[in-house]
Amino acid sequence: MNFKKFFALAKENGVEVSEISEGRSSDLSIEIFKKEITSYSIKENIKIIARGIYNDKMGFVSTEKDDKDTPLYIINSIKQGASLNETDDEAIIFKGSEKYKKKNVFSKELEAWSTDDILKTLFTLEEKMYEKDSRVSDVQVYFSKVNEESIMANSYDLVLKNKTNYFYVGAEATIKDGDEVKSTFNLFLSNNPAEINLDSFVEETVNKGIEKLHGVTIAPNSYKAVLSRDVVSSLLTALISNASSEDVQKQSSLFAGKLNTQILSPKITIEEKPLEKNIFYQYFDDEGVATQNKVIVDKGVLKTYFYNLVTAKKDGVESTGNAHRAGSKMGIGFSNIYLKPGRLTEEELITKVKNGVYISDVQGLHAGLNPSSGDFSLQAEGFHIKDGVKGDALTLITVSGNLFKLFNDVIAVGNNTKLLVNATCVPSIAVSDVKVSAE
Amino acid sequence: MLNKKLALDVINEASLTGADFVEIFYEDTYTAIISVENGKVNNVINGNISGVGLRLLKDNRSVYGSTSDVSRKSLLKLASTLSKSFNGERVLSPVESFTKVKTKERCKVKTHLTDVPKEDIIKLLKETNKDVKDFDPRIVRVTTNLSIEVNSTEIFNSNGKYIPNRKEYGRLALLSIASEGNKMETRFDGPGAQAGWEFFTEKLDLKKLAHENASKLIMMLEAKECPSGKFPVIIGNGWGGVIFHEACGHQLEATSVAKGLSVFSNMKGEKIANDIVSAYDDATIPNEWGTYNIDDEGNVPERNELIKDGVLTGYLVDDFNGRRMGEKGNGACRRQSYKFEPTSRMGNTYIANGKSTKEEIIANTKLALYAVSFNGGSVNPSTGDFNFGCSEAYIVKDGKILEPVRGATLVGNAKDILKHIDMVGNDLAFGQGMCGSSSGSIPVNVGQPTIRIDEIVVGGRGGSIDEF
Repeated sequence: MNFKKFFALAKENGVEVSEISEGRSSDLSIEIFKKEITSYSIKENIKIIARGIYNDKMGFVSTEKDDKDTPLYIINSIKQGASLNETDDEAIIFKGSEKYKKKNVFSKELEAWSTDDILKTLFTLEEKMYEKDSRVSDVQVYFSKVNEESIMANSYDLVLKNKTNYFYVGAEATIKDGDEVKSTFNLFLSNNPAEINLDSFVEETVNKGIEKLHGVTIAPNSYKAVLSRDVVSSLLTALISNASSEDVQKQSSLFAGKLNTQILSPKITIEEKPLEKNIFYQYFDDEGVATQNKVIVDKGVLKTYFYNLVTAKKDGVESTGNAHRAGSKMGIGFSNIYLKPGRLTEEELITKVKNGVYISDVQGLHAGLNPSSGDFSLQAEGFHIKDGVKGDALTLITVSGNLFKLFNDVIAVGNNTKLLVNATCVPSIAVSDVKVSAE
Repeated sequence: MLNKKLALDVINEASLTGADFVEIFYEDTYTAIISVENGKVNNVINGNISGVGLRLLKDNRSVYGSTSDVSRKSLLKLASTLSKSFNGERVLSPVESFTKVKTKERCKVKTHLTDVPKEDIIKLLKETNKDVKDFDPRIVRVTTNLSIEVNSTEIFNSNGKYIPNRKEYGRLALLSIASEGNKMETRFDGPGAQAGWEFFTEKLDLKKLAHENASKLIMMLEAKECPSGKFPVIIGNGWGGVIFHEACGHQLEATSVAKGLSVFSNMKGEKIANDIVSAYDDATIPNEWGTYNIDDEGNVPERNELIKDGVLTGYLVDDFNGRRMGEKGNGACRRQSYKFEPTSRMGNTYIANGKSTKEEIIANTKLALYAVSFNGGSVNPSTGDFNFGCSEAYIVKDGKILEPVRGATLVGNAKDILKHIDMVGNDLAFGQGMCGSSSGSIPVNVGQPTIRIDEIVVGGRGGSIDEF
């Protein structure tokens, strides 16, 4: 679409200020099962999201069509949405930040990775999974490579562009030992093919499954616990969503009124680093505001909320560059959440807990965790900790607690940080109290 | 609509290198969401999803491509690129014309949602919003929205079939949040149907829905924490069916059965549940949320029997996975949109009525959790381990329903749990949800009468159930 022509047409039709975000993506996905490519797919997609100010109100629209009728369809939809919009929110389209910290994160190495070499890697991975242990069966290997290009432009002549690419390799297998069946899954995410080490990936994946075998039960009770990085990541993401200024302003966040107060353990420092050069890097948010690295919680003290332009205006502060579109609607989002590491290794955390549980994974977050109240009750996988050592696997357990309390009950923070698939970089932590239910 | 000559050319180009089946899935979907928050319209957003998915099969291999560019050049390029995955000779005869397949219309609509003035929709949403908000000052945030999706699709395949279809979905979402001190509670209700405006104005009792949403929200805000341990659980009708959906339904999908990855693979004819359990997936029920005239590879849906008197009798099968199983698709192949390769999924899945009344089940229970409604759940198909989180639950003691409890999660194993259903009620009802899996997020009904499970692991923070 010719943006300049569109903005002029929109203005002619009463939409004084308007903005277009156009995203183009292409991806290649492959599945391997029993030495065959069982699925091979390529996707190319375009998505246009537009908004505009009509009679001082904002209207939104999205479309996947880009033809001669598209500009007028967009304009009419904006006008209809704006005419019915009754919010008191100020309609703001942004003229641009003074400075943007743009970095090139597009990987030429990934772009050059040929399909033949990708397939060779996937078949080798499958073979190594089977060879690793005779109890490994039914291995499925997944691959996906994604290219994304976005351009955001508005009638104030602001034009911002971004181009990224990444890939992931996943392996899923069942581990069978007699009648006992366990599963294992692992994912490697990067934008540089040279970073994947198949041997260590296979070792980690298979071991994760094998160590679940021959589980024992545990008495329902409160336990000291070490939470793995994956568990910390899931729980921390839900906790930190309470820093949304929109939720705070609408009285649906327990962080409301807690700015500059101690809300978590002094051992907890949380930062958002959208400018960190990794696959989640973003230099402008969905309103076009330059993003910034910032401390959200400093030694347990809440230092800021996440703001977009509208919520910032309400609180008389600057946007923090956290505008995020959910569907077409503008809201609040965040990425690259870092939990500051401590000094202890994961083994030392286990030693410190001495007797308790190690929680390696939690399931059912969408159903068993309420981010607003912080209450959670989740299916979990884990191990006994006895005399400072990780012991038997635990069969069919749940862990329950409250996020706010949990991140106050921190005994120690580990030093084993790793960037995970949900855009968090966190270590394991040890906590003094989780409720475990079991058979 | 996709030009038929172009569809012919694409199929014939795609089959040059040995594909034994080629299918085009064209989609043009209109979406709209009208949303009211705390009495004010905060969003009216139109959208559209439009493009083509192209699938090539050869024996047990599939290649799939999708694009939102539906020009001739783009589609022929996609066909040519995908066909390079195979390197054989043509095995399909070139398709010369298409025969239109007529479908039975299972979802009759009196007033199309797209014909209703947005002002009328807003009036209804505002009334419902106010009814919830005014119930109690502790209710701080209420969102009511109506989402509309009109889905027009065309399937063309190498068997010379042309299958047009249209689906029209409407769903009312009611999300409320209550707060008191350091406590916060949320509640979601989301009735939906493949029906017109009449579903919302004639069939649904919105006053009752609003009252139930608000009163249950406040009740759960004040509820004690749920006890934990292993004990009996009565599961309410309707949304309670999520247990069967998670614990069994997903493991009966050919997606995992065909590769031997399901706990129920190769178990047809075997006893997997108590004698009193029979279960079906029926995507033919008129106007239901999980109903369709034709599935997403052009097969007619059926009332698929899955379990009869405790014995596994059938799976949910799509044509591609059916190749490994030696079965034909039984109308259970679905996808979220053209961007997803279709596969076997559920429609309206339910445990059939038994003989007990709900009152008899409660009266015959000494000490249990009564789980009425759920937030959802998930399952690992290869191990069968599942979980689901309760949004409304009570303690039952000596045959009577006592106080409500919050924060309950039920976990179990699919192979085990169906054998532990020891009472089945006669009050079958459905609940509407969105189910996420490999072919995307699709509308499904879960359903069941009230049932009792003699023991299951319950997670919660309220200590032992014996203390109640």
